[in-house]
Amino acid sequence: MTSKIKPSVQPSMRPRVIARQHRYLTWLSLSLMSFLGLMVLIVYESRWVYPEIQAYFSQTGSLTGQQLATRSRVYLQQAQTELLSDQPELEAFDAALVNIELAYGLFDVHVYRRQYECAEPSLMDMDRLMARLQQREIAPVVAVSELFMPIECLTHIEMSQLDRRGMAINDFSESTRQHNQVLTYSSLLIFVMGLVFWWLHERQLRRTDYATQETFEWMQRAMRDPLTGIGNRSALHQDVLAKKHQSLGLILVDIDFFKQYNDAYGHPQGDTLLRQLATLIGQTFNDEAQLYRLGGDEFAALLLCPDTATLKNYCQQLIKGLHEANFAHPAHPDNKGVTLSVGGSRFVAGEHTFAYAYEAADKALYRVKAAGRDGWQVTEDE
Amino acid sequence: MNAVALHRRPWVGARDRLACVLIFVGITLPTAAFAQALNMINGDVTQKIALSDLRAISDTTFTLYDPYQGRDVEMQGVAFRSFLIDHFGAVPPALHFTAWDDYEVTLEGWDDPNWYLITLEDGDPLTIRTRGPARLVERDYGDRDVENLRDFNDWIWMIRSIEAKW
Repeated sequence: MTSKIKPSVQPSMRPRVIARQHRYLTWLSLSLMSFLGLMVLIVYESRWVYPEIQAYFSQTGSLTGQQLATRSRVYLQQAQTELLSDQPELEAFDAALVNIELAYGLFDVHVYRRQYECAEPSLMDMDRLMARLQQREIAPVVAVSELFMPIECLTHIEMSQLDRRGMAINDFSESTRQHNQVLTYSSLLIFVMGLVFWWLHERQLRRTDYATQETFEWMQRAMRDPLTGIGNRSALHQDVLAKKHQSLGLILVDIDFFKQYNDAYGHPQGDTLLRQLATLIGQTFNDEAQLYRLGGDEFAALLLCPDTATLKNYCQQLIKGLHEANFAHPAHPDNKGVTLSVGGSRFVAGEHTFAYAYEAADKALYRVKAAGRDGWQVTEDE
Repeated sequence: MNAVALHRRPWVGARDRLACVLIFVGITLPTAAFAQALNMINGDVTQKIALSDLRAISDTTFTLYDPYQGRDVEMQGVAFRSFLIDHFGAVPPALHFTAWDDYEVTLEGWDDPNWYLITLEDGDPLTIRTRGPARLVERDYGDRDVENLRDFNDWIWMIRSIEAKW
């Protein structure tokens, strides 16, 4: 029955739209959070990995890129070559001295002295040898042989340092593997947390949605007449405000001798008549009007109305439709069926114009009642 | 006689002095000839700075833990930034270093008052054996790990020449 009637209360979509936007924003923030979390992880890992790689693999050309021990050993071997060369002995000594000095400078490093037992004696040997070479007190072959111990020590250091570097690289490799695991598990954890947060968010959203829907339904019910399913007085005010600046027609309908009807048939039948009339009015206006029950036996219809002629036409249609329906009224003083008194007015919707329009329609209605009921009147001076 | 005996002929004294000089030169020549100047190269112009002059202008003394020697060392040198400005007119964007051990490297970022070109350690001139005759150090190396010598790669040793790279 009520399905035929155009709902008087606008089922505004606003709360749903807001809910959807909220969900969209939450999705976006969740995505950003996940993305940021992963970025932080990646940057952190890069910051950790890059300097380590640089330390172990990018030493070429730097001061310690080639082992100091290696460079020192090479100079000592060059010194031996100079000493065994065919050049004059003095020149050979000078050239050897230069190489041994360079070798000494590269060898005399705290870390070698501390970590390798052979370093200290070798440096002392080199020191003594340089003194003897400066004083030309040593045979070249002897000098060459005295360099073997430092060379052996340097070779030992080289091998040991290579081992240490190898171990360091292994450690680095292991650390990298562990960090990769951390990265993988952390990413997984962030992903799972993201899913859990999303699920919690969705659940919360559903609850909010439900609560909003419930509130909205309560609001709708508060705007609706429970007996007839059409709007009430509050809905009428709200709808007028929602149609600001539109040319509207307001039709007030009052059932003639409704008290006598109730007395004759009882209130349940009276309620039935109210529902039947609501349906009839809706059908008469081809669902173009929004209907309201203002209380008791009084109805109102709000419709788009470009001119007074249209309004009059609607009123005529209503009275005609009622006569055709021919609802029985055993207690009608004039021995008629159910009759209506209808008053109308036209106005441009606004906060202040409605009160005047209502008053004008009401005056028209009372003019009908004063004239014997069962008719319609329209107040034309808006 | 005594007078004669006591009076040595002039050429004898000269010969002795010459012998002494020759012995001294013979002993010190390898080192002396090896590293006596620092070459400052700016384009086509090469300026040789005698190490004695470099030591003479080494007006700053400070004590620093040298990670290569594993001990506190009193270093004496000149602020490298000022030194560059004095010789190149400005701090070049990059410098190419050549060391006496033929090590070569080009590094940037020298507009930094933290770097010092040192020529003396504990009051003694730096030699090749002590990674001289000139060496670059950072006066303040912050909280870098002194056990990790890789962190001190920029401390150029045995500097033979400095070439401005504009």
